Amino acid sequence: MTALSPSRRRRLAGVTVLAGIVFAGCAKNAPQDTFKPEGPNARTIDDLQRPLFYVAGLVGLIVFAVIAYVLVRFKDRGQEMPQQTHGKTWLEVLLTVIPAVILVGVSIPTVAAIFELDDQSNECVINVTGQQWWWEYDYTGKCGDVEITKPIVTSSELVIPVGTPVLLRITSRDVIHSYWIPALNGKRDAMPGSLRTLRMEADEAGIYVGQCTEFCGLSHARMRQAAVALDMDDFQTWVDNQLEAYTDNAPEPGSLAASGEATFINQCSRCHQINDLLATDGTPVLAEPDLYVVSGAAPNLTNLMTRTAIAGWTFDLLTEECREQLWDAPPAEFGDLYLQGVWMNSAADARKPICFDEATLRDWLRDPAAMKPMFVDPNNLSSTGGRTRGMPNLNLTEDQIDQLIAYLLERN
Amino acid sequence: MFTTGSKMFLGATTLSVVAAVVFAASTGGATGLLGTVGLVTVAIVFAFLAGINFFTRDGNTPSMQQGVEHTSSAAQPPVGRSMWPIFAAVGVGGLVVGAVSRPVVFKVSIVVLLAAVVEWMVQGWSERASSDDRFNAGLRGRMMHSLEFPILASIGAGAVVYAFSRVLLTADPGAGLWIFIAVGALIVTGGFIFASAPKSSKRTMAVILTASAVVLMGVGVASALSGQRTIHPHPTIDDPSQKALCLEGGEEEVDEHASQDVSLKSNIVADVYLQENGELVARVRGYANDFSQQIVIPRSAHLGVIFHNESAESHRLTGRFGSFPEQPEAVSCTTAVHPGKSAYLGFQISKTNAASSTPFEFIVPGVEGATIQIVVP
Repeated sequence: MTALSPSRRRRLAGVTVLAGIVFAGCAKNAPQDTFKPEGPNARTIDDLQRPLFYVAGLVGLIVFAVIAYVLVRFKDRGQEMPQQTHGKTWLEVLLTVIPAVILVGVSIPTVAAIFELDDQSNECVINVTGQQWWWEYDYTGKCGDVEITKPIVTSSELVIPVGTPVLLRITSRDVIHSYWIPALNGKRDAMPGSLRTLRMEADEAGIYVGQCTEFCGLSHARMRQAAVALDMDDFQTWVDNQLEAYTDNAPEPGSLAASGEATFINQCSRCHQINDLLATDGTPVLAEPDLYVVSGAAPNLTNLMTRTAIAGWTFDLLTEECREQLWDAPPAEFGDLYLQGVWMNSAADARKPICFDEATLRDWLRDPAAMKPMFVDPNNLSSTGGRTRGMPNLNLTEDQIDQLIAYLLERN
Repeated sequence: MFTTGSKMFLGATTLSVVAAVVFAASTGGATGLLGTVGLVTVAIVFAFLAGINFFTRDGNTPSMQQGVEHTSSAAQPPVGRSMWPIFAAVGVGGLVVGAVSRPVVFKVSIVVLLAAVVEWMVQGWSERASSDDRFNAGLRGRMMHSLEFPILASIGAGAVVYAFSRVLLTADPGAGLWIFIAVGALIVTGGFIFASAPKSSKRTMAVILTASAVVLMGVGVASALSGQRTIHPHPTIDDPSQKALCLEGGEEEVDEHASQDVSLKSNIVADVYLQENGELVARVRGYANDFSQQIVIPRSAHLGVIFHNESAESHRLTGRFGSFPEQPEAVSCTTAVHPGKSAYLGFQISKTNAASSTPFEFIVPGVEGATIQIVVP
C-alpha cells in the first residue's frame, strides 16, 4: 500500500474532522439535546448558555488563531534568535482586564438565572427517589388543579400536568445518582441522607427523556427516566386511573389473570407492591423489599401497564411502531394516545393489545439480569447480607409468565 | 550519600521483606507462619547491619589517596554531644512501662525510640561526612528537614487543636462560644500586629508564640484533668426507659446546656412547629407558605425534620414510626426543647403505613391533639 503524501494526509485529516462535525448534527432522534428547551426552567438555562457558548467560542477562535499565526509566522527557519524582553506591562494589564470584564459580564446573567431557577411558587410537589437502577415517584398531594386524595407511587415515568410548576424533592436510597431531563431543567444529584429540589415545567404535552448522570454502578447506563406532560384534563384522567379501587378491575375467578394474581402473590409480592391486593385469606399483601433489596425498595407495580417502559425506563412496553406513533404525536393528540398505552390502536372489545411489546416483557420475566447487568448472583451476596441490587431470576415457568402477563394487562 | 556496604544491606533488607510478603501470601498454616517470621527476622538483621554500615561509612579509607588521613570520614573527630541517646533511653523506659501498663504508652514509646535512633544515626553520619561542618549541617538538613518539618508541624497543630478541644468540651456551651470568639479575635489581632510591624524581632515573635502555646497547652491539660461536662446520651428506641421518656414527656433533657439551635441540615423534609395555641403543624419543604398536618415521605430514605417549639413551655417532638409483627414499636424523639428553640429529628421508615398496626405520626407528649400524620406510600 502506497503511503499518502503529507499534504494529502493533512487534507484527509481535515475532511475527516469536518465530516465528524457535520454528521454529529444529523442525529434524527436526539431527545436529550440540551439546546432544545421545552419548559421555562430549561429555557432560562438555554438563554444563559447560548450567549456564553458564543462568547466562549469566539474567545477560543481568537486564541487558536493567535496560536496558529505565531506557529506559522515565527516558525524556526534558521533565523537569528530575536532579542529577548521581560514582559510588557500594558499587555499584561490588558490580558488581565479583558478576562475580568468578560467574567463580570458572565456572572450577572448567571446569578440572575440561579435566582430565577430557585423560584418556590410551586403548584405540585413530587418525591423523587433514586436507587440502583430506577427512579421512584411519590405524589404528595394537590397537583395543579387536581386533588390527589391518596398517595400515588409510580416508577421511571414521571407524569406531570402541562404548564404547572412542579417541584421535585430528590433523594437516594443507596448511592449517589443524578436526575436530569435536559428539555425541562438542569441536573440535580440525588444523594442518600440529603433532600434536594429541582423545578420542572413543560410547555406542552409530550414525552421528555432523561438519564442518570452520576455513575452509580453496573447498570448506570440503563438507568433512564422520562417526564410525561399531560394537559390538565388528561392528567386528571391519569390520576383517576391510578387511584381506581383494586376491586373495580380485579381478575375474574378461574381466569388466566386470576392465576397470574396468585403467581404474583407467591413470587413477586415479596418485593413489588400492588396497592390494595388481598391474599386468599383476606389479609393485605404487603411487599417487604427492605428484606430482599439493598436499597429497601422495588418498583410499585400498581397499574404497570399505564407506563410505556420498564426496568429503569430501559425496555419498552410499546412496540416500536406504537412507540414512534406516541413520540411523534402532536401535543393535542399525545395525551389521548398516552392514556391508551399498550391498548393504543386496539378495537374497544379487543382481547389483545396491539401495541404491547410482549416479547420484551417475557424476556425480562425469564431472566432480568440477562437483559440488564445487576448484582443478583445468589452465590455472591454475602457482602450485602443476601440482599440483591436489582431483580433476581425467579426461574418462572412459561406458564407462570403467561399468567403474570395476563394479570398485569388486566390491572391496566 | 549511601556507602557501598549500606547499599548492599539495604538491598538485602528489601529482598527479605519482599520474600516475607510473598511467602506469607503463598504459604499457609504453621509452615507459612514460621517461614514468614524467619524472613522478617532476617530483614530486621539486614536493616540493622545497613544502619551500622551507614553510620560508620563502611570504615573505608583508600590507602593510596593523598591527604586521606585528614579528609576521610574515618579521620573526622568523633560525633559531638547528642540529645538523642536521652530520647532513646526515654523510649526504652516507655517500652518497659507500656508493657506492664497501657498499650498506648508502648506504641508511643516505639515511635519515640525509632525517631531517636534514626536522628542519632543521621547525626553521627552527617557530622563525619566531610571536614566541613557547614557542608555537613547542610547535608543533614537536606536529608531530614523534609521529614522533620511536616511531622513537627502536624504534632504541633494536633496538640493545639487537641488542647483547645479539651477546653471547649469542659466549658459550658455558652462560655465555649465566647472562648472561641476571644481566641479567634486574639489570633487575628496578633496576626494583624505582626503584619503591620514587619520589623519586629524574631525573638519577640518566638517568645509570644511560645508563651501562647504554653498557656494553651496548660489550660488544655487542666481541662482534660477536670474532665468534660456531662453530655447525656440521646434517647434511642433500643432503651426501653428512653422510649417511655419519648412517649410520656417529662423533665429530663438530653443535654440541658445544649444550644438548641439547629445548624444547616441537608435532608429536611419539613419544619414542624408547636404553636403557642398548642397546635402542631408542618411546613413541608417545597410548599412555600402552607402549613400542613400531613407529610408524605418515601420509604427507606434517610430524612429529618426540625422541631420548633413556639409554645411557652419545654416540649419534645416524638416520632412514632410504626408497629410491626414481633418488633417493639419504633419510637424516637428530640430532647426537651426550650421555648423559642429548635431541635433536629432524623428517621428512616422502611415499611409503608399499610404494614403497621399503629399509625406513623409525630406527636408532642403532654399536648393533647398535637399530631402530624406521616404517610409512607
